[in-house]
Amino acid sequence: MDFDDTPEEASFRAHVRSVLEEHASELLHVAPGEPVDARSREAELRDTQRVLAEAGLVGVTWPREYGGQGGTLVQQAIVGQELGRARVPTLINHIGIGMCGPTVIAHGSDDQRSRYLARLLRADDVWCQLFSEPGSGSDLAALRTSAVRDGEDWVVNGQKVWTTLAHVADFGILLTRTDPSRPKHAGLTMFVVDMHAPGVTVRPLRQMSGGADFNEVFFDDVRIPDSERLGEPGEGWRVALTTLMNERVAIGGAGSDIGPSPESLTAHARDRLPALSPEQQVLARQAVGRALVASLATRYTGYRRFTTLSQGGVPGPEASAGKLGGTAAARLVTDAGVRLLGDEAVLGATADGDDTWQRAQAYVPGIAIAGGTDQVLRNILGERVLGLPPEPRTDKSAPFSSGGRR
Amino acid sequence: MNFDLSDDQRDAAAGAREFFTGSVPLSAARAALEGEGPPAPGRKALADIGFLGITVPESAGGAGGSVLDLAVVAEQAGAVLAGPSLVTAARAAVLLEGAPDLAAQLADGSAAIAVLDGPVTGSAPSLDAADATLFLGLDGGALVVGEGEVTPGRPMDATRGLASVRMTSRRVLAEDAGELWARARQVGAVVMAAEDLGAADRAVLVGVDYAQQRQAFGRVIGSYQAVKHMLVDAWVGVDQLRSLVWWAAWAADSSPAELPLAAAAAKAYAAEVAERATETVVQVHGGIGFTWEHDAHLYWRRAKVDRLLLGDAAEHLDAVARLAVAGALG
Repeated sequence: MDFDDTPEEASFRAHVRSVLEEHASELLHVAPGEPVDARSREAELRDTQRVLAEAGLVGVTWPREYGGQGGTLVQQAIVGQELGRARVPTLINHIGIGMCGPTVIAHGSDDQRSRYLARLLRADDVWCQLFSEPGSGSDLAALRTSAVRDGEDWVVNGQKVWTTLAHVADFGILLTRTDPSRPKHAGLTMFVVDMHAPGVTVRPLRQMSGGADFNEVFFDDVRIPDSERLGEPGEGWRVALTTLMNERVAIGGAGSDIGPSPESLTAHARDRLPALSPEQQVLARQAVGRALVASLATRYTGYRRFTTLSQGGVPGPEASAGKLGGTAAARLVTDAGVRLLGDEAVLGATADGDDTWQRAQAYVPGIAIAGGTDQVLRNILGERVLGLPPEPRTDKSAPFSSGGRR
Repeated sequence: MNFDLSDDQRDAAAGAREFFTGSVPLSAARAALEGEGPPAPGRKALADIGFLGITVPESAGGAGGSVLDLAVVAEQAGAVLAGPSLVTAARAAVLLEGAPDLAAQLADGSAAIAVLDGPVTGSAPSLDAADATLFLGLDGGALVVGEGEVTPGRPMDATRGLASVRMTSRRVLAEDAGELWARARQVGAVVMAAEDLGAADRAVLVGVDYAQQRQAFGRVIGSYQAVKHMLVDAWVGVDQLRSLVWWAAWAADSSPAELPLAAAAAKAYAAEVAERATETVVQVHGGIGFTWEHDAHLYWRRAKVDRLLLGDAAEHLDAVARLAVAGALG
């Protein structure tokens, strides 16, 4: 047992570090935990990704023929760790790289691959994933947005929601219902949609943290050429599963922290503890200790998954535990961070004008929902890891148009 | 990075599992609780198979193994609530680094050694003291060994051999032993976390097994989220605890500077995870889980006792925070 890189991993890490140092002046850097607004910093974020792509650090696991590096998940994780260490923010096209691109690679035509993939890696085009709807979040296959064939085109009407990055995206992968007479999983079809096409309206949703990372997207008679279909009509669910499996790889993580790191909490505690009364200090240290233990438990569990990847394994359903643990830890870390501020915290900003911890705390409820709610993840773990019987799904084989009743 | 057990450690875990499941029926924990017998498999059996000497140097008749080697065995011991505890062996092995003759007697079981917490003139409840004949204690900064008068009391978990002791003779093994004592206690905390890991893991399995069989309202209860999610939360805790136990054991062997923080983290988390897992297994069983006849309370007792031994969660969470603020986490 050790925490050292293998010789191959060490040499790859050294390579990544040297690339990041060489291009440091061309990359955007942010403070730990600092939220980055995709719209106001769009140009810098696109430039940063382009520089990284040209240096070979984007799409590490993608096949070489599509502009990737043909690398391993471990190398991908190392790039992620080093970007975090260098304080380069999350790539603007992270959804495109992690989910949309791999779906196009798996199910797209040669023409689609050649038109989209290289531009996606360079952030010439930013992508989003148009899955969730107001009436179908976790129950994704219940979606209602329709696509109706009209000559060489499909005509799309409906609404998506919680669409991260739609407000800066150029393209999206769009899951639609094309045959309501079939059971809900069988009547779906996936498309690539041009986010600048007539009839597409994007409305940012302001979230409880004050930021606006995701959006409502409305489709009013939007025409999509049949050549932009991904996979066969009615095969949309199978295509979407490719996306969702890649999402698990992207979110399940391998030792990266969700939210502020234990080290940032420790530094904060070092600054703030002396200002608290002795009684407050006792409580604050308890909170800090509890948060650190939860964070470290999640981090070292991530190291076990990383080791599995390193030995050539792939993340299984147990990877869902990483997000569950990470969310719980993020809750404790941000709570402790705010507690350390004492009653100054309720004014939103402290005397030095820094409200990082309050904003981070207000972001956690969203983490607990995005990419699978805590409850959905518990179902996955309970059913696929512990072998408990599934939730009843009474509408699984009924025609969608029957409203779920047989 | 290779944060996983070696093949040898996996084999050792499998061997330990076979030994413990073969030699320690749960009825032994129940019999001990009812005053009808000592904890199983007992000191001699643990010595004979070599588990008491895993971390004792080969020169003193032990296996010269690592704390991690011991932790994987301790997990299996915890799964069947075995006694005496490997915590005592691990802690004594550290304390007896400078006393190879006593270490040899620890390893071969010829001396029944316990480590005393609190003042030697009237100790706190201490693990495996009930049937011990030789005691190690910290007396004014010195490590002492001697005999004592044992007061067992009525233990919540009889597999722990808990008793208070008044030492009646004292011989100094090492002056100025504060650091050695602290390190031994940290190693003990790691091994206790490993035993709790085994107990919590087994408790979750017992709960899952029942949730797959038992029907209510026309469905297997494990299909209800109220039951399923409770078991998943317990399982996630166990999975994460395993990571902290391995890290802390690795730190004991390979990164002494990390041991105080890692041991405190593992011990604090073990207390929480074992309590949640054993409370869960009681609840999943409903009324039957609350009966004397069901085994659930044997695991529950272990969790309720262990959370208070070798420092409670409050002490260890505070230690984690203090050490981290002092720079132990970077």
